[in-house]
Amino acid sequence: MKHHTAHQSGARTFALAGGLGLIGLFLPDPTSAQTPPSTAEAAKTVKVTKKVEKARRAGERAAKEATEALKRFQKEVAEYERLHVAQLARLGTVEPVRVQEALARAIVSKRDEAKPGDIFAKDVQPLFRTLIAEQLKGPDTAAAQKAVVEGNPTRDEDSVPVLVRVNGVYPAGASRSTVPASLLLALPPLPPCLHYLFVERDLLLVDSVAQIIVDYLPAAAPALVGK
Amino acid sequence: MNARGVGRFGRFLFVVALAQCSVRSAPPLVEVAPPPERATSGARAEAPTSLTLPLKEGSVRFAVIGDTGRANSGQIEVGRQMAAFHKQFPFSFVIMVGDNIYGTDAPADMVAKFESPYKVLLDAGVTFHAALGNHDNPNQRFYKLFNMGDKRYYTFRPASGGGVRFFALDSTYIDKVQTDWFEKELASSSSDWKIAFFHHPLYSSGRTHGSSLETRAILEPLFLKYQVSAAFSGHDHFYERIKPQKGGIVYWVSGAGGSLRKGDIAVTELTAKGYDRDYHFMLVEISGDELYFQTISRTGVTLDSGVLHRPGAPVRAPGTSPAAPVLVVPAPVPIAPPKATPTPTPIAPPKVTPTPTGPISL
Repeated sequence: MKHHTAHQSGARTFALAGGLGLIGLFLPDPTSAQTPPSTAEAAKTVKVTKKVEKARRAGERAAKEATEALKRFQKEVAEYERLHVAQLARLGTVEPVRVQEALARAIVSKRDEAKPGDIFAKDVQPLFRTLIAEQLKGPDTAAAQKAVVEGNPTRDEDSVPVLVRVNGVYPAGASRSTVPASLLLALPPLPPCLHYLFVERDLLLVDSVAQIIVDYLPAAAPALVGK
Repeated sequence: MNARGVGRFGRFLFVVALAQCSVRSAPPLVEVAPPPERATSGARAEAPTSLTLPLKEGSVRFAVIGDTGRANSGQIEVGRQMAAFHKQFPFSFVIMVGDNIYGTDAPADMVAKFESPYKVLLDAGVTFHAALGNHDNPNQRFYKLFNMGDKRYYTFRPASGGGVRFFALDSTYIDKVQTDWFEKELASSSSDWKIAFFHHPLYSSGRTHGSSLETRAILEPLFLKYQVSAAFSGHDHFYERIKPQKGGIVYWVSGAGGSLRKGDIAVTELTAKGYDRDYHFMLVEISGDELYFQTISRTGVTLDSGVLHRPGAPVRAPGTSPAAPVLVVPAPVPIAPPKATPTPTPIAPPKVTPTPTGPISL
């Protein structure tokens, strides 16, 4: 039988600790699992960030060089906003969940003669098409295109179809395409009562409360790649 | 020791070191479902596991669910499991990371797709705070039980305080008005923990959707500038914990509270842990500079758990850089082999283990 003395045991512990310490020299930095994204992931981010910055500048440029056509578009949008605000105020104390339906009815009754191109007038359409093409066509636009495809009601398996017509309702069961952040920076800004949305390639102006299609620009986006 | 002995010892050290390296750099543990043609239907019959959260006094406790509102069996069973765990871990609120109501949202839908699956929790006074997904009608902001204050994006602090502030964003429509608001709110917040939640994940290994790069380009700089600590998203219908990214921020994808895409995780270098075999929810507890999390399947199995030290907070452990984020996770819970019974209907209440098992470093 072998008896281990405290001295022997201590020496072994020391040797083990020393060995483990030496091993530690070979090991990767424990924080290496917490490093920033890989080169590929970082490269993608850099590309998209550059694109977003470019879009921001494009938006600022368009705003500065506000053409007569753009000014008219902004005037039409402002007029719609006034109508929205006025009709919303008239509803008074309608239960919040009923606001959508009541407001839609009120606005449609005031715009029953509205037709495509009232807001996206012919003279402003080239500007929109150019701004959209800059963000969705060509190199480095894959992420933006993917965003438009995601949730696009024509591509989403869980979505009900949307019938694109002025004063038509954007159905509750329809999904919403992501409008790429870069595109939102480039396009003329809208008041809170209006949103841009894509249905397939059409760019819609949708009332954010009444959920009605206020106007649309057909085939505004270039051919979309994706599911 | 002679020269031969030194050589042998050196070789021994080299082999041990190699083995250690391989353990540390091993691919992340990912539970990935077999391809659809081989996928088995129903849930795996696994025994419910224990609560691993520490239940510290004065902590902020909440749950996370995403992509829920379908009124299907998956959502309903997750709701039951949440209620069972709530008895042991009394969380006071739930954050919903979008796609809260699929399809129509008439009052009857709100009952079937939200109020009924979480009735026990609602009756117990648990509040829900929703972010909008691409399947949500933005007018859900008016629905009182979603506590959105009639806004598409908003911020709130839990009643228990705890130095935590949440920011709910509408990632389907990140316009300048929203980012300006977000920046203003972040700048004026003195909370230690700033937690963002929104639908589209900035980082995800999903085959169907994956990372939302455009949204990342806008939001991540703000996260870094104002030291957002963690972010929760959904959209991809599985569970994924992303390795800490820039600024030490940990991102979670929790998009299988009622929707599931089996086999959709394409394991990437982003993945710290993933699971795409069954529905799930998350439980989170924040105490001081620590965020404890536990991800639980609809059958009550713990899929992931651990503790995140707040990025940027001083680290108490000696010899660690103060700025370095520390993420430690307990050893993964072994998952029992599947049994013949496909779906266990009765849900056993979770057992409580007051002290979590010893953590290991990632």
